[in-house]
Amino acid sequence: MPREIITIQVGQCGNQIGMEFWKQLCLEHGIGKDGLLEDFATQGGDRKDVFFYQADDQHYIPRALLMDLEPRVINGIQNSEYRNLYNHENIFLSEHGGGAGNNWASGYHQGEQVVDDIMDMVDREADGSDSLEGFVLCHSIAGGTGSGMGSYLLETLNDRYSKKLVQTYSVFPNQMETSDVVVQPYNSLLTLKRLTLNADCVVVLDNTALNRIAVERLHLANPTFAQTNSLVSTVMSASTTTLRYPGYMNNDLAGLLASLIPTPRCHFLMTGYTPLTVERQVNMIRKTTVLDVMRRLLQTKNIMVSSYARTKEASQAKYISILNIIQGEVDPTQVHESLQRIRERKLVNFVEWGPASIQVALSRKSPYVQTTHRVSGLMLANHTSIRHLFSKCLGQYEKLRKKQAFLDNYRKFPMFEDNDLSEFDESREIIEGLVDEYKACESPDYIKWGMEDLGEANVAAALDSKLVV
Amino acid sequence: MDDHQTQDLVKELVLRLLSAESGGGGRDAGGALRFAHRLLSSRLAPAVLPDEHALAESIKRRLASSGRPDDALAFADLHSKLSVRSRPASLWPLLYLLDSLSSHRRSAAAASCLPNLPMAGTPRAPAATGGKPASRVPGAPPGGVVLVSKDPDNIREMALREYTELVLDETEVSEAALVRDVLYACQGIDGRYVRYDKGRDTYDLPDAIRVPRSTRTLVRKLCELGCLFRKVRGFISDNIRRLPSDAATEVGTVAQAFCSALQEELSDYYKLLAVLESYSLNPIPTPGSDSGVSGNYLSLRRLVVWLAEPAVRMRLMAVLVDGCRGLRGGGMAGAIHGHAQHGDPMFQDFMSRLLRRVCSPLFEMVRSWVLEGELEDVFGEFFIVGQPVKAECLWREGYLIQSDMLPTFISPVLAQRILRTGKSINFLKVCCDDNGWADAATEAAAYVGTTTSRGGLGYGQIDALEALVVEAAKRIDQRLMDVIHKRYQFKDHCLAIKRYLLLGQGDFVQYLMDVVGPELSEPANRISSFHLAGLLETAIRASDAQYDDRDILDRIKVKMMDHGDGDRGWDVFSLEYDARVPLDTVFTASVMKMYLKIFNFLWKLKRVDHSLTGVWKTMKPNCIVSSPFYKEGTSIRVQFVSVLRKCQVLFNEMNHFVTNFQYYIMFEVLEISWARFSEEMDAAKDLDDLLTGHDKYLTSIVEKSLLGERSQGILRNLFALFDIILQFRSHADRWFERIYDLQLRGKGKSKTKSKEAGSWLDGGRKAMIQLAGELFRKMGEDLDSIAKDYTASLDAFISQLPLQQHVDLKFLLFRLDFTEYYSRVSSNK
Repeated sequence: MPREIITIQVGQCGNQIGMEFWKQLCLEHGIGKDGLLEDFATQGGDRKDVFFYQADDQHYIPRALLMDLEPRVINGIQNSEYRNLYNHENIFLSEHGGGAGNNWASGYHQGEQVVDDIMDMVDREADGSDSLEGFVLCHSIAGGTGSGMGSYLLETLNDRYSKKLVQTYSVFPNQMETSDVVVQPYNSLLTLKRLTLNADCVVVLDNTALNRIAVERLHLANPTFAQTNSLVSTVMSASTTTLRYPGYMNNDLAGLLASLIPTPRCHFLMTGYTPLTVERQVNMIRKTTVLDVMRRLLQTKNIMVSSYARTKEASQAKYISILNIIQGEVDPTQVHESLQRIRERKLVNFVEWGPASIQVALSRKSPYVQTTHRVSGLMLANHTSIRHLFSKCLGQYEKLRKKQAFLDNYRKFPMFEDNDLSEFDESREIIEGLVDEYKACESPDYIKWGMEDLGEANVAAALDSKLVV
Repeated sequence: MDDHQTQDLVKELVLRLLSAESGGGGRDAGGALRFAHRLLSSRLAPAVLPDEHALAESIKRRLASSGRPDDALAFADLHSKLSVRSRPASLWPLLYLLDSLSSHRRSAAAASCLPNLPMAGTPRAPAATGGKPASRVPGAPPGGVVLVSKDPDNIREMALREYTELVLDETEVSEAALVRDVLYACQGIDGRYVRYDKGRDTYDLPDAIRVPRSTRTLVRKLCELGCLFRKVRGFISDNIRRLPSDAATEVGTVAQAFCSALQEELSDYYKLLAVLESYSLNPIPTPGSDSGVSGNYLSLRRLVVWLAEPAVRMRLMAVLVDGCRGLRGGGMAGAIHGHAQHGDPMFQDFMSRLLRRVCSPLFEMVRSWVLEGELEDVFGEFFIVGQPVKAECLWREGYLIQSDMLPTFISPVLAQRILRTGKSINFLKVCCDDNGWADAATEAAAYVGTTTSRGGLGYGQIDALEALVVEAAKRIDQRLMDVIHKRYQFKDHCLAIKRYLLLGQGDFVQYLMDVVGPELSEPANRISSFHLAGLLETAIRASDAQYDDRDILDRIKVKMMDHGDGDRGWDVFSLEYDARVPLDTVFTASVMKMYLKIFNFLWKLKRVDHSLTGVWKTMKPNCIVSSPFYKEGTSIRVQFVSVLRKCQVLFNEMNHFVTNFQYYIMFEVLEISWARFSEEMDAAKDLDDLLTGHDKYLTSIVEKSLLGERSQGILRNLFALFDIILQFRSHADRWFERIYDLQLRGKGKSKTKSKEAGSWLDGGRKAMIQLAGELFRKMGEDLDSIAKDYTASLDAFISQLPLQQHVDLKFLLFRLDFTEYYSRVSSNK
């Protein structure tokens, strides 16, 4: 009963980052490209069965479902040296292979069409696990397949597996360069609605920030997708280390998320990682102590979500929760000292409506992966400044929507038939609500927020009187 | 005539000597002859009185004081024999000559008249040859001493005779008889007159016998020796007589050695007495009688002189005997050692001779204990005693130091080291089934240079003993540590305990909680521990524990504690670790009890954590946010949101508390204690270090996890908090079940609603909303009361926290109040 986690990678981006993720896991667990355990991988202490299962012939097979509406990326995987790693039954490619044309509605609709096929795969994989903990969805929110089909999957999973966790690694589009996907704001908005309503936890991977980090921190002039994807896979694998290397605490995803997400709507997490390296690039060796790592993790430049906040707003932004996963040889006594320093220097602002603290999980490091630094750290944080990212998405949507641009593509599909654009409006409303809730979290009066403005004065008053104990 | 003869002889001698020296020369011969004549005719005499006895005495004393009491006695013996055979007066010159020769040899080439002056030898020659010159003494020769006896008058003699008669008149007993009696008394035998008086524990002359007061005093004084002797002999015979009998245990080897040493001393004493007895046969010259009759007679006064030194020795022995009465073994050696601290060299000499004998059995015991681990202690004299105990208690209780048997010359530190070394050997033999210690012991012995055979050590070699012990201890301890670490994998077992009993293996603990949880909610008496053991095995198989050593896994067992009425499985379930010989010396029953206590605490904490995660899962984001109540009419929505927020905020507080408490336990308690213990484990040189390290480890965990004696109050508070959280969990389960139930009904209705808008359906929806409204109101009330209880308990807990003794608890407070939320809340009050 290893509390299995099934990974579903949808669309071009989803499959690319998914593949990088599995590469990384194989490396860390000493699993070869064909799924066989390497000879040197005898040290144990790791749990492979959370993410892999063993076939009859001892092959380790990822609990992964690969889905796409166009064959390019998946064919690439099937022709790569990792082709024997995956279970071929777990690969779904649409028959016509035409893709979703970067149209959310198309992806959503196609998902609806093939729901039986893909849910069969999901069910089979779920049945194959003893105590399924949940699903991890890798996708991007801007394109057609990852966003549209992903959205449909989220709704379906929420419906059919309501007791299982649904976590997503959602790649947000790069806002700094003009995208070839002009309808990106529409797609993002519609997907964000599902992320808000149907996911338990969304790890936001902001391509804008990833690019910035690649340029500024790694000194890459023109970072490729492969390079930013390797950043993503690093974050993904690091955030699962406590599940894969069991210790005293944080051994299950639910426990991990329970402390990070105290209020249900605010379940969008930012990540930070240090020290960063990409493949084939030898970074300079730094002094890495726990304090260094923890301090660096709190710096905005290391955070993989761009902050669009203005200075004043930024100063009001607060952490709802922080979990630092520190890997490597760490003296446990340093943790307390580091926390003390951080508090003394007031490096971190927490919400005021409840108790909070920086949680630190120490995790083993894979013995098979050599790194030049002793300690590395991942931060998973629930920070209110993420609302500015959503506001930005909203803003872009508004701009497009005002012009009524490119809506015809959507009207072709059942959801938007007869010029029924209520889905857009509803999504907008939900995202606005989300932004507002994050904003409310910055205030000490969050507990009362949302009650006073909505009539029913007597009920609210009665409730208020009780709340002010 | 005499003179002629002598002169001829002298001339002859001179000539011979000279011719032998330089081959003649008349002038020289004449001069030399004249010189010789002058010498002979001169009245030159040694500046001492020719008192033969004084001389003999001084020789004896010199011999005795130069550490040759046997020679002194032999001399006395020879002297008495010689004086019987030869004429009395001839002995003095002989003795004088021998004495001056010996003293000459002593002072080597120091100036002495004999060899320097060839002439000087001549006047002595006749004296040395005996015969003629001796006759000169009575006949007042030119070379003699003017003697008082030459007084021609009879008056003196008459006066003396008168005096003697007077004395005889006053004395019933002759002095000779008294001397004999005293000698008897000195051998512990009643004499004719002098008898042992039991009442006063002394030899004395009965009052009825009339003797002068001075004589009586003298006799008493002399007879003290007799009493002392009696005491010493009594002690010896007491001890020796008991030997062959069944009460052999009564007399130890140390006492035996002591007795034999005493006996040896006594045999010297016997020799002396024999000599004295032979002297006593010589008649005592009465005053006035011819003083030359015999020098070797014994009077009481002479006896005082003779016996002065033996008396000192005897007194010492008697004191020792008194001091040792009732003591045994090491205690006896210690008591004797106590007397050795004396400034008198004679004392020291004597004592060290004695102690060497007395301590040899003791040292032998130490040697065989330290090198072989054998307690060769038939008589219970060693300062280490063994007790028959079970193997797991061998180290802690098997051997003890008996402080009354510990001789003072062995320091407590050394004693401890000796104890531990032998204990280590026995531990290796009995518990570890190891033979490698023998090589270590041989090595140690070889290194120090002692043989492993008996009798290598003696008193006064305390340094050698210490060196041996230190070396043996070092090697044996090293061996023991090797065996414990390498063969018995001590660290692995400690780690296993940390992982399984202290819940370090998180995935294992989680599955155990998952599979055992439902079972443990049953009443304790309905739970089968066999079933639980099966579930434990399942948890092991399911988790990473399966890759652990099978030997370690087999040792993990389910333990059900004694349960009372109304106990649930949660209250009695625990895990235990079967350490087995020899590691059960470290993990004793009481240590395991502590682990049990810690396990129960951590298990409880985990259970609370587990149930909070359960609460979160029932109200996880995608269940709540997509809930229809979020979309329903405003009034119900506000109610829903408000009650949810309360629930979430309360959950957040509880989760914050439990999570941070766990972080505290992990970082500040378990890991840090473990890191320290690890260091100490590596540094430990012997099993005692290891035990101390482990005890410290365990105590620090207990204290810091609030399980110590002093934190009972705060622990009660903590458990109250836990109970509230568990209560919250069961409430939450019920609430959300109802909510999802209502949701489902609402969902079914809303579907139909879209198709056909019927008034009855609307009515049903209204009813549903009303139900929900009631539920939310009830839920809100319940939540308020739980929150109130929780806040009160938490306040109490936090306010008690700074009052705890342990400094590390401030870390807990630091974590709980990281954002100073609680300080703010309390300052607002």
